[in-house]
Amino acid sequence: MRRRRYDVVVIGAGTAGLVAGVRLAELGAEVCVVAKGVGSTHLAPGTIDVLGYAPQRVDSPSAALAALAAERPDHPYALIGVDTVSAAADWFIATAARGALPGYNYVGSLDRNLLLPTAVGALKPSALVPETFAAGDSRLLGRVAVVGTPRLRDFHPSLCAENLRAAGIDASAISIEIETDRADTSTLGLAHRFDDPAWRAAFSARLAPLIKGADHVALPAMLGLADPHGVLGELESRLGRRVFEIPTLPPSVPGMRLFEILRQALLAAGGRLALGAGVVSHARDGERIVSVEAATAGSPTRYEAGAFVLASGGFHSGAITLDSHWAAHEQVLGLELRGVPGVDEERFVPGYFDEQPLARAGVAVDSELRATGTPNVFVAGASLPGSASWREGSGEGIALASGYRAAGRVAAELGERVAA
Amino acid sequence: MVKLATEVLVIGGGATGAGVAWDASLRGLDVILVDRLDLAEGTSGRFHGLLHSGGRYVVKDAPAARECIAENRILRRVAADCIEDTGGMFVTTPWDDPEYADRFAAACRQTDVDCEEIPVAVALREEPRLNPGISRAFRVPDANMDIWKTVWAMAHGAEQRGARILPYHQVTAIRREGDTVTGALVNDVRGGEELEIEARVTVNATGAWAGQIATMAGIEGVRVFPGRGIMIAMNHRLVNTVINRCQLPTDGDILVPIRTVSVIGTTDQHTEDPDDHTVARSEVDQMLDDGEKLVPGFRQARALRVWTGVRPLFEDAKASDTDTRDVTRAHALLDHRERDSVGGFVTITGGKVTTFRLMAQETVDAVCDMLGSAAACNTATQPLPGSEDGANYRLGERLARKEERLREEQIICECELVSRERLTGVLEQSGSTDLDDIRRRLRLGMGPCQGGFCIYRAVGIMHGAGGLDAPAAGASLSAFLEERWKGVWPILYGDQLRQVRLDEWIFHGVLDVDHLPGGPLAAPAEGGPLAAGSEGGPLAAPAEGDPLAAGPEGDPLAAGQTPSAGFEADS
Repeated sequence: MRRRRYDVVVIGAGTAGLVAGVRLAELGAEVCVVAKGVGSTHLAPGTIDVLGYAPQRVDSPSAALAALAAERPDHPYALIGVDTVSAAADWFIATAARGALPGYNYVGSLDRNLLLPTAVGALKPSALVPETFAAGDSRLLGRVAVVGTPRLRDFHPSLCAENLRAAGIDASAISIEIETDRADTSTLGLAHRFDDPAWRAAFSARLAPLIKGADHVALPAMLGLADPHGVLGELESRLGRRVFEIPTLPPSVPGMRLFEILRQALLAAGGRLALGAGVVSHARDGERIVSVEAATAGSPTRYEAGAFVLASGGFHSGAITLDSHWAAHEQVLGLELRGVPGVDEERFVPGYFDEQPLARAGVAVDSELRATGTPNVFVAGASLPGSASWREGSGEGIALASGYRAAGRVAAELGERVAA
Repeated sequence: MVKLATEVLVIGGGATGAGVAWDASLRGLDVILVDRLDLAEGTSGRFHGLLHSGGRYVVKDAPAARECIAENRILRRVAADCIEDTGGMFVTTPWDDPEYADRFAAACRQTDVDCEEIPVAVALREEPRLNPGISRAFRVPDANMDIWKTVWAMAHGAEQRGARILPYHQVTAIRREGDTVTGALVNDVRGGEELEIEARVTVNATGAWAGQIATMAGIEGVRVFPGRGIMIAMNHRLVNTVINRCQLPTDGDILVPIRTVSVIGTTDQHTEDPDDHTVARSEVDQMLDDGEKLVPGFRQARALRVWTGVRPLFEDAKASDTDTRDVTRAHALLDHRERDSVGGFVTITGGKVTTFRLMAQETVDAVCDMLGSAAACNTATQPLPGSEDGANYRLGERLARKEERLREEQIICECELVSRERLTGVLEQSGSTDLDDIRRRLRLGMGPCQGGFCIYRAVGIMHGAGGLDAPAAGASLSAFLEERWKGVWPILYGDQLRQVRLDEWIFHGVLDVDHLPGGPLAAPAEGGPLAAGSEGGPLAAPAEGDPLAAGPEGDPLAAGQTPSAGFEADS
């Protein structure tokens, strides 16, 4: 078996794990992020939604977070602290700005959510968004042409536009024919095409005559993976209008850009990333985890570390499971869970849009995000209990802030031990 | 009020009612069929999909067994396209009385149910997931039957012969003149219209609801016990042969492979209300434990969906009222001339899906008797539309058809391989934009992801085709999600919970469907959710037609001129 030793091993390569990894590397730790595969980024829209609903729509996350923390002392934001959420947001914007995709900055702040059209035409509150989304803030939108193509089954401009009109936005739908080598096209397939200058020049030429009355052009999120900033600028210049992206069904192109930004930031800061390294077992010494074993290609690898950050996700990733007897388990390190309804209580209720009793389950932690009973494991992201992230519109914000916070805690402990 | 007249009015669009409409129209009768919901949305669409060989009844109910095997042989011919010839096995598990197997074999011989004992090793080689502890195995001609396909084929065939098929038409009153039933008043649930249908004979083919319709006709004492059973679809063909436990019929002793899933069934609970679809946690646990006995590891497999169906069990004076399985499974044809001195009205109830054709035949015989017609029944020899070539359905047919046109056709639902053309075709043909109607016709959203990906696509395509406006699209989406959830949450664990979380990611994290205008969690609208909503009208529409149809010369987007540099989409 291969053996590797780091100061810290982060388990999980979604937003929380990558943020924790980057931050730890920046703070001087030898860190490796190990993960079964890529995480939430490829599914999520690529925005950092900090707090969208509480339960009414939130205009200012920074104002609403304090109230949420007061009302729910076991909510991740209450444990992390509003100031840390704010610091994490600033850090993230700066990290993206000097990141792998030049010019592709994240914009926005915790003071005011942007209201961005979704693919179905709802207006979703987001705090930090890629610059390619920013012109879609519905409070600033003028006459918008929502553009799709029948080749893309994952985006339907007419439905989006009609719902935007119902919200008071002057929107119309444009359907543009494009030829591809097969009938099924995804935003990812089209993003690769947008990376090609000749293709996007031709696309712009075709689109330009169709959008005469519009001052904004909305496209499904597919404006390239290599240089979205350049693609956006080129389209805006060729079309003479503001252009923005609307995220749609996975795989998420803006999510993949976010992954790339964080991955490059991790490597640039001296961290390591091991994908295809699902943790299959662990070893303890008393209360502490001393190593994890990952199923890596060829032969397993043992990763030893003084501290671990668990950012392996919740039920969606398979890191927390519910068995057929309706008992919940944390699969990676066998940690204690919190927020799981009791044996005789219902896990689910019959109303789909009602909050499900199991929704807030996660790995039990103390106020420093330390796993209960295992002092050298810190927990981040969707592994944490206490939030109902899709109802709150808080998943990526929690991932960012808890990854940042956990890294800070671990680095402080490592420093203390070194000092001692 | 719209007035219609016909010879035969069939109330109930399940297998029996559709069978009556098909049979009667083959005999040249004029038919109208009404159902309060979609076709096959009651008991017929809620069974496990098993076309019985009769083996299940050989020991306990020999006449039922004989009927089943006779109908099984007929349906394989006339409804070939609706049937997959999986074959079946009866196996003696460690929990079954070993003495029963010999009685079973003997009873099969007496009832003409084809049955061949095979070595356990052969059974296990054919079905490697089967419990290795089985001690006996018998091969029987069980099969699975796609009931929606069957019912629509019959309805379609009847329509071709002039019948009028009216789903979503609820009977509000039975017309009676003196001692004769003369039709019914019907409410067009979707169109909002009232219809008066005059009929020479009215057939009550409403199964578990037959007592309610009989009461509307002023006829008392037609008591049908609804026997509620649950079924769970597992997301794999855990077996490829129908597996029955070789014992007297009980709960959870059948596992039916159908399409891409296998269905375990069933339980049997007496209920007062045929519309009661309660799924008790204890029943789910019981099914999973029973599944474990047939296929060890069953609980680790992924449960997709649970549903309940109600058997129409016609009251037998000897029946105890707690265990409906002892009430007769035989069907009951009530000619109300004899029974109640009321003419023009027959009730057909009881029975089972496998014998629906026979039930329809006997019913239409009675109808012909009332009408003085001597026309003979043809349904045992006349194939249903789509089954003319006599070829059975094969698993993989859909995939094979899709693979032929993989690059030309857009697939909207990957789980069930539904193409965009099929969806728009059904929209045009059925005129329905109800996602649940579409689901029953295309199986859209019935696969592992339970609509996670395809439902947004379907709604978007329907909206783009002008089929429904945005408020209707939003309502349809919400209704679909709520409807799917009903069948998911009682069996939600393991990988299906993971799937549901991914679907939540899509519907809430990406699309935010909850907060669509008019959505379930939308803020009360005051001039729209925007603080300052602009009022302007829609943009000037682009020039008429499809201005991109003829791209400019040298446009690299045009067909065959894609630039060689760069990536191919979806390569």
